[in-house]
Amino acid sequence: MLRRSASLARLLVLLVSPLLFVLPAWAADPENVPAVDITDPAALQEATRILAEEVKLAARPQTYIIVDLVDRAVVIKGRGAELHRLPIEQWSGLRLAEASTAFRVQARPPVTRRRIEPAAGAEQPPVSLDDMPTDFTLTFVPSFSLAVHPSVSDDFWRWLRFTTREWWVWVRNWTVRLATGEESPTHPVLRLTLTPHHAQSLAWTVTEGMPFLVRRTSSPPK
Amino acid sequence: MQRIVVSLCSCAIGLVLLLLASSLPSTSTDAFPVQAVELDRAALHTLQARYRSLSKQLSQLMPGQPYIVVDTARNHLYIKRRDQVMLDALASTGSGTILDKPGEAKGQWIFDTPRGEFTVQSKLVNPVWVKPDWAFIEEGVAIPKSAADRIESGVLGEYALGFGKGYFIHGTLYTRLLGKNVTHGCIRLNDDDLKSVYQLARVGTPIMIF
Repeated sequence: MLRRSASLARLLVLLVSPLLFVLPAWAADPENVPAVDITDPAALQEATRILAEEVKLAARPQTYIIVDLVDRAVVIKGRGAELHRLPIEQWSGLRLAEASTAFRVQARPPVTRRRIEPAAGAEQPPVSLDDMPTDFTLTFVPSFSLAVHPSVSDDFWRWLRFTTREWWVWVRNWTVRLATGEESPTHPVLRLTLTPHHAQSLAWTVTEGMPFLVRRTSSPPK
Repeated sequence: MQRIVVSLCSCAIGLVLLLLASSLPSTSTDAFPVQAVELDRAALHTLQARYRSLSKQLSQLMPGQPYIVVDTARNHLYIKRRDQVMLDALASTGSGTILDKPGEAKGQWIFDTPRGEFTVQSKLVNPVWVKPDWAFIEEGVAIPKSAADRIESGVLGEYALGFGKGYFIHGTLYTRLLGKNVTHGCIRLNDDDLKSVYQLARVGTPIMIF
């Protein structure tokens, strides 16, 4: 009888022991990492690059942003945890092949802050999300520009203003290039189309020195 | 004259090119800035192993215990454990307004809730508010000389959690203002949510504010 129960116990140990190795690996299954086709070398290389940069950022007490062109979302993160996600409607870019490092915001988009009149009472209007711009350009160190604007259907006049301004800069650069032979700015540029609310959310969230990563795409959007 | 003509012509050409470019679908190399690469099986396996290792490293950096997330744009405070939301509370955060410091040409207070990552540094029961200078200036009254005259009790609720530089998560008498940006930088909650936060958070709990 005793021999039988000892055999059963041994069998149980044999059956359970592999689980001891499997469970910690399962428990530590990565969360909030970019979903990627690990058989696609280009996509895997890019996802690995982003992860390597993100591990460095997440090791420090700070919030950071990943502009994920593959998942079409601006993701606000801290310590590797996703805090908030803003969907990207459309995007386009120039020289994005060079956008392969962490960029730090130089300045927040401007916002008009109200001044408190002493003794005027507590009910003075605060700054709210509605006060934030829906089209703005963020500049970064190292040199990188992120232009955010609403779609034509969301706000035609703002879209027109933004597009005209972009065209003007483009034409001016080309004119200078043709007339003088000087090269136009050579830094990466990314343009994002966000809904007005999401653009305002992004403008609200960014702070001076905040790190940004751009996860670039190697295939057409699905 | 010749230069002006060249400039005008280039302007016109530029406009036409830009119109053409904007009407094209985004299939340029910039639309897919990561170029396809060929890797042999060994190199691909090495890359896959590095990806898994980095994923695990990132996962290990995530707080293992509950952590606090504050969305200052929408005025919500969350307590999360990994990706699970344990508490979603309506809050009030910084108003973003400015108060000029009297007698200082360029001195001012900006009432923003600080953004970034912080930790709970202190947990207080029945806290009292030691009113800073700006509170008196805002009310249009003289700043008291005695420290005792700065103390106001019963306005911060039953609990307060400090996260540095005089900022606290605390209660409020003005619950109708929850969901709005009305504070001087602190984070206000109603009594029930404040109690939950007090019970779930420990000294050292991370607070991520965006």
